[in-house]
Amino acid sequence: MSSIEDANVKHLDEMTCLMYLERQLDRARGLEVSAHTQECERCRTLLRALERESRLLTRAMLEDTEPLPSRLAQFQEAARRSMQWVWGLAFGLAATGVYALYTGYIQPWQLQLEQAGFSGTNLLGLLIFQSPFWKGWQPMVTLLEILALATLGGLGVMFLRRRLRRGAALALVFAGLCAAMMLPAQASATELRKGDRVTVAKDEVIHSDLYAAGGQIRIAGTIEGDLVVAGGDVEVSGRVLGDLLSASGQVRMTGQVDGSIRGYAGNITVKGKVGRNVMTFGGDVNIDRDAIIGGSLTSFSGRLSIDGHVQRDVLAMGGQANLSGNIGGSAKIRSDELNIDSTAQVGGPINFEGNKPAQVADGAKLASPVHFEKITHGPNYSNPHYYIWQLIWTSAYILFGLVLFALMPAFSMQAVNSAEERFGASAGLAVLVGFGLPIAACITCVTVVGLFVGLSTLALWYGALHFGLVVVGALIGQWLMGRTRELWPLVGRMCVGVLIVRFFTMIPHVGWVFKYGAALWGLGAISLVVFRRFQPAVAAGAPSAPNVQPLPPNTTIGPLPA
Amino acid sequence: METQRPGRMSAPGITEPTEAIARARAGDADAWGELYREYAPAIFRFCRRAMPTREDAEDATMEIFMKLKGKLNQYDTTRSFSAWLYKVAANHCWDILRRRKIRQDKETEDVESVPLEHPEPSQLEKLIEQRSGEEVRKALEEMGARARMALVMRYYSDMSYDEIADALGVRRAFVGVVLLRARHELRQALEGNAALAAGGTS
Repeated sequence: MSSIEDANVKHLDEMTCLMYLERQLDRARGLEVSAHTQECERCRTLLRALERESRLLTRAMLEDTEPLPSRLAQFQEAARRSMQWVWGLAFGLAATGVYALYTGYIQPWQLQLEQAGFSGTNLLGLLIFQSPFWKGWQPMVTLLEILALATLGGLGVMFLRRRLRRGAALALVFAGLCAAMMLPAQASATELRKGDRVTVAKDEVIHSDLYAAGGQIRIAGTIEGDLVVAGGDVEVSGRVLGDLLSASGQVRMTGQVDGSIRGYAGNITVKGKVGRNVMTFGGDVNIDRDAIIGGSLTSFSGRLSIDGHVQRDVLAMGGQANLSGNIGGSAKIRSDELNIDSTAQVGGPINFEGNKPAQVADGAKLASPVHFEKITHGPNYSNPHYYIWQLIWTSAYILFGLVLFALMPAFSMQAVNSAEERFGASAGLAVLVGFGLPIAACITCVTVVGLFVGLSTLALWYGALHFGLVVVGALIGQWLMGRTRELWPLVGRMCVGVLIVRFFTMIPHVGWVFKYGAALWGLGAISLVVFRRFQPAVAAGAPSAPNVQPLPPNTTIGPLPA
Repeated sequence: METQRPGRMSAPGITEPTEAIARARAGDADAWGELYREYAPAIFRFCRRAMPTREDAEDATMEIFMKLKGKLNQYDTTRSFSAWLYKVAANHCWDILRRRKIRQDKETEDVESVPLEHPEPSQLEKLIEQRSGEEVRKALEEMGARARMALVMRYYSDMSYDEIADALGVRRAFVGVVLLRARHELRQALEGNAALAAGGTS
């Protein structure tokens, strides 16, 4: 496009001349144009005409100065500013989500807790109150305090961001958080033992927590704190006054644990007495006939056998479940098959979700017949809870987006722009980061030194995936409502866009394509912005050399004729 | 007398209202009034050129200053205040125009795909020489929103290509094309008005 031919003479085209006048050409091209216009009358005339046109435009816009209208003569402080409808929408959604969460889940939990302690059959209730994070109310209160501090810190960053340098504000908040996190750690005392064989003899008493790592671990003595073991073969025949946490190939517990057991092992056998709950992840989980579990049992395993006593509820997921023992509360089991032996006794309702109905032997003492539900794949659209959860998720995404957009406005806007303008690069990076990064992070995790780095990377990747969906939501909002450079209008567009994306993810069979497509696309755009930020700073846009470019001949002329 | 180009108000030798800005940021209403009195006429003129009607320009001016009051803390004092002001104004005006879907007329066409006719240099020169500022202003009013906006940003407020690209939401490399097409549109409007005038007088 740089030139046009006319009777064997190449002339400059209008765009080149305009770019030359506007000083948008690089130096070499500028010199070429300059040299050409010295010899070519036609192009010189074009250049002169364009320059005159520029001056005419400027003059036309500047002259005829209309006086400022009287209503603008003084700035009206009291002029109404319309309420940010964005906030209304966001908080409305969030409030709806919170209300649904409360009425649908929290309130029933409270009722269950009031009626029967922790004997809830709700999956979430069991997971929360028996998960590895649950160590009684006091640590939970501490955790809530820390979360409250973190929230306060986040709000602090939002407000201080404009006054302090961002790095200083973040450093302040992180320092505060670290200080807060260190407080609960002061009370604990720990003993560490490692070796091929780690043994705590029968008469030995350890007055603190014990961390043991080794090929073969035998605990016959008494541990007054928690016992944390990692080994190939672990046997606990002594007494643990606290909790037993295990990550081992094989675990046998024949002694007594006053607290809870949380085990991650290929094979877990419980023969002794457990004061509180048992939560196990394992290939094979056996609750022996001599076992007594004072609380509930939660198991995620290939095969689960319950021959002993579980005084409260059972929540089990896995391939096969065999029940011949005694369950005081209810049972919620999701597995391929469930066999209930004649010696089994269950005090509460049994909910079984599987591929075929449970095999119940004659003589089994069940409080009520097994309620069977065939496993359905994909979401259950007829269940109102599905829609409640969709609403909660949408609100969560919007709140997540609000926080990130408020904390990182420039980054968020760049990510939205990248998703639109650099579609190819975003898509390429989406594939690379979306699939490559978790693999790299998992490999990093395998190397013990890199565990923290690997897990942090995975967490960041996971968070970025969700943020990606928010970014694409903002982009869709912009498509519908018009482009904006302002933060809060963009947040409004994000809310609308996220609603639309979430709506599309609910479409049967193809919803997942929208969900993962949007997340990956957004992830690619985010990665692109991060990538750009790590690039050395270069002059933006096309090269220009305003100070070195020679002026074209006969173009700088006197004022325009009046 | 040559009028001071608004976009170059911050050129070397021209004082930035640093003190007034600092006071306005601290909540001084008088300082805010000073800034308003100094810059409102230029911003109004900008809006007058960019927006289709005088009422629109008045409303936009008021809204821009309301917006500026909230955004004053975001202004980087190491940069030109007037350039920042025009950037905010351009973004605001363009947002309004987009919301009204004015751009649906000529702007939605894929302008890159429509070839431009090469002007005959001498005829172009003649056309330019014969036109007055009044005629150009009239022609500007008849142009599509984006073309007019691009010309106003470039030739009234002297915004850079990067700033124009950012405000219009186009790639930087495309700004030159937008400006050139805007000039063509302007010439067509000028020629059309001239033909109408000639028809009216004959």
